[in-house]
Amino acid sequence: MDKYLKKIGIFLTVLLMLTGLCSMAVMAAPDTDRNAFYVQIPSDWKNPCVWAWDSDGNNAFEAWPGEEMEADPENEGWYYIWLPSFANHVIVSANDGNVQTEEQILDTNAAWMTIKAADEVEVTYEKQTTGEAPAYTEKFTIHAKVDDGWKAPCLWAWSAPDGTNAFEAWPGKAMKKGEDGWYTAKAPVFVNSVIINGNEGSVQTEDISIDPAEIWITVEADGAYDFSYADPDKAAIPDITVHVATPSDWESPCLWAWSAPDGTNVFASWPGEALEEGENGWLQKTVPGWINSVIVNGNEGSVQTTDISVESGKDIWLVVNGAEDYSLSYEEPELTAETETPEADTDEGKATEAVKTDTTENTEQTEKKSSPAGPIAAVVIVVAAGAGIGIAAKKKKAGN
Amino acid sequence: MKGKGKIKTGAMGMIACLTLSTLTGCSMQPVVDEEGEATITIWHDKEDAVTQVLEDALSELEPEIHVVLEKKSDLTETLKMVGNDPKAAPDMYLFAHDKIGVYAEMGILAPVTDILPAQELDAYMDNTIEAASYKGTVYQLPIYYETLLFMYNRRYMSDEKVPTTTEELYAYMQEKTKGGHYGFVEQHSTPYYAAGWINGFGGYLLDDQGVPGLNLPETEKALAYHKKFVDLMPGETEYATVNTLFKEGMAHATIAGPWLIPTVRESGMDVGIAPMPVIDETGTPISPYMGVQGIQVLKNAAERKPEAVEKVLRVLMKDEVGIELAMASGCAPAKESCYEQESVTDDEVVMAMKETAENAVPMPNLPEMDVMWTVTGTLLTDVNMSGKDITESADKAEAEAFRLIENMK
Repeated sequence: MDKYLKKIGIFLTVLLMLTGLCSMAVMAAPDTDRNAFYVQIPSDWKNPCVWAWDSDGNNAFEAWPGEEMEADPENEGWYYIWLPSFANHVIVSANDGNVQTEEQILDTNAAWMTIKAADEVEVTYEKQTTGEAPAYTEKFTIHAKVDDGWKAPCLWAWSAPDGTNAFEAWPGKAMKKGEDGWYTAKAPVFVNSVIINGNEGSVQTEDISIDPAEIWITVEADGAYDFSYADPDKAAIPDITVHVATPSDWESPCLWAWSAPDGTNVFASWPGEALEEGENGWLQKTVPGWINSVIVNGNEGSVQTTDISVESGKDIWLVVNGAEDYSLSYEEPELTAETETPEADTDEGKATEAVKTDTTENTEQTEKKSSPAGPIAAVVIVVAAGAGIGIAAKKKKAGN
Repeated sequence: MKGKGKIKTGAMGMIACLTLSTLTGCSMQPVVDEEGEATITIWHDKEDAVTQVLEDALSELEPEIHVVLEKKSDLTETLKMVGNDPKAAPDMYLFAHDKIGVYAEMGILAPVTDILPAQELDAYMDNTIEAASYKGTVYQLPIYYETLLFMYNRRYMSDEKVPTTTEELYAYMQEKTKGGHYGFVEQHSTPYYAAGWINGFGGYLLDDQGVPGLNLPETEKALAYHKKFVDLMPGETEYATVNTLFKEGMAHATIAGPWLIPTVRESGMDVGIAPMPVIDETGTPISPYMGVQGIQVLKNAAERKPEAVEKVLRVLMKDEVGIELAMASGCAPAKESCYEQESVTDDEVVMAMKETAENAVPMPNLPEMDVMWTVTGTLLTDVNMSGKDITESADKAEAEAFRLIENMK
């Protein structure tokens, strides 16, 4: 009986992991065509990162601020990154996202960008560096949560049994702390062994044999560790269903959903996925329970709500009357004739009586928490309308 | 002479039928139209890549013979209902060989050797003709075959680390199954997959006389040995779950059909294919079932349109068709001569299937097999998922299989 229960437990765990995996945004495949993109940054910019996407809203990376650039050992002051060739819209940020350029639309991302200031950027497609960029190596992310007594944790990584090291010298690559409390660093996919260390290498785990795949390692004060290939924070939250009623003139409504502030998107590209016919007149979509932000859009993404913050792990009922007029509930309200989807006429902007959200306050709150998803969605819309990039840049700044 | 007589009888029957149709207003398709052109309808359940090759090849028969490939989602059940009705049944169908026994017993199939000289079938691999035969008669023209394959993700498992024996595989699973990743996964409680282990132990689900073998000592040994591998896999054995685990990089290796390969390659995986591990206890590799895909001719069509039917078969017998299918969809040709072509021998998937086929067992094509899938599935669930006693479960399943087979009669 215990064994049976254990099997059920394993089954549910696997299901959760798979659900998470399946619903995660699919980024560029490893064998995608790539170009080396170079950037020269001002002296007060540190650790530059690139966020890149294409005009269809396909992102090169999973979450803002994108991928950290590498210093080019042959060309002092220049940083490089191998970008999927499709991603010709870029934003370069540095200093943990505290400074950033405006969106740059490139002819090709085989380009050299000189940044003199956030608003002073020059791009050329003529080679500005000597030699070739180091060959592209696919990398994977290692997350670690360490005991509070371990300061400035670092990652040491190598390939066993041949002993090829990923980093030049002990204690290895400094791990960057995220807002979720996890330290993060990347290692090349040839790595199959790691050590997490802290306090300038004076405390450490033993050798940890791993697969070269995104991994979460929890480290105790004595160096004891445990690890999982699924985010323990996300795997524990079951899927939720988002129920939506939209204005009658919003054709083919879609849902865009993500996790802020890390910016992990559920869907690969804007405008997300189509809402499906649900019960009681609602449209609905099941998404991972870890999301905390949604946008409902229609007419192929040309009309949309503002970013809407929601509580993770709870089913949602959302009555949308217009871009900035909606009501959010965690219990099913009764749809009135005015709000019912899709036939209802919502022109008068009447929301469900069950729960009314202070839209203004919510909008302000979500604007402050804006992740790249919002700006990118906006960028796509703006580009499609041929109206420039100002809105995207403005929203991005609001998010910072 | 015998053939001619049959054709005559068929022609007479057809004339009678046509007359009846005219009288009753039914819409049975004429053998040839006013311009002397015939239509041959082939039901199938195949992907577009396969049908495109066949359509291109068969277009050479136009306008004399117009071949319509019609995809049917419930082909086997529909055939059971309409196979004897020339108004509703197709002229031929393209499907795996395992339903031949059912339809032969129903009397709706024509022997291939009524249409083609038997010696022309010598060009085919022996095990494909064995699969295509029921009670000594060949009822299918083989086109290609499929076996399960051992495949692995080269990011995790280097070519040198690929287990050559099941004990090596077990040690690998013990080392690598942790943190939510699996060293190896398969649909362990699905009969089609578990059969490879059972066959490798000398057991079987059903013998060639239609007798179940679920409580044979060899079958029970296989179940007991297989269980320790099952304990290192997820409990869920559903197709999508297992394939997703492999595709998403959560499993290092799997045993799956060749149809999975395009999908995993699309996801960017460097997928390797290796021979099936040898079972240490028996010295025999895991021996999966082989499914032979080919053309079956319905008796009505063989009688009413013998010339058109023969012409269609002869097009499908051409080496070019097998070679094109190999290139388009990784199908392993049933004709030996196709393997003289570099475009076939260079294909890693096709050649892996050919190697696996040397130990593979043709899926039984007896009608009794219909009940064995369900009964074996229950046995596997009892042993692998519920932890029930193997001998008791096997005895119970064997008795149930006999009961259901008796009911069929």
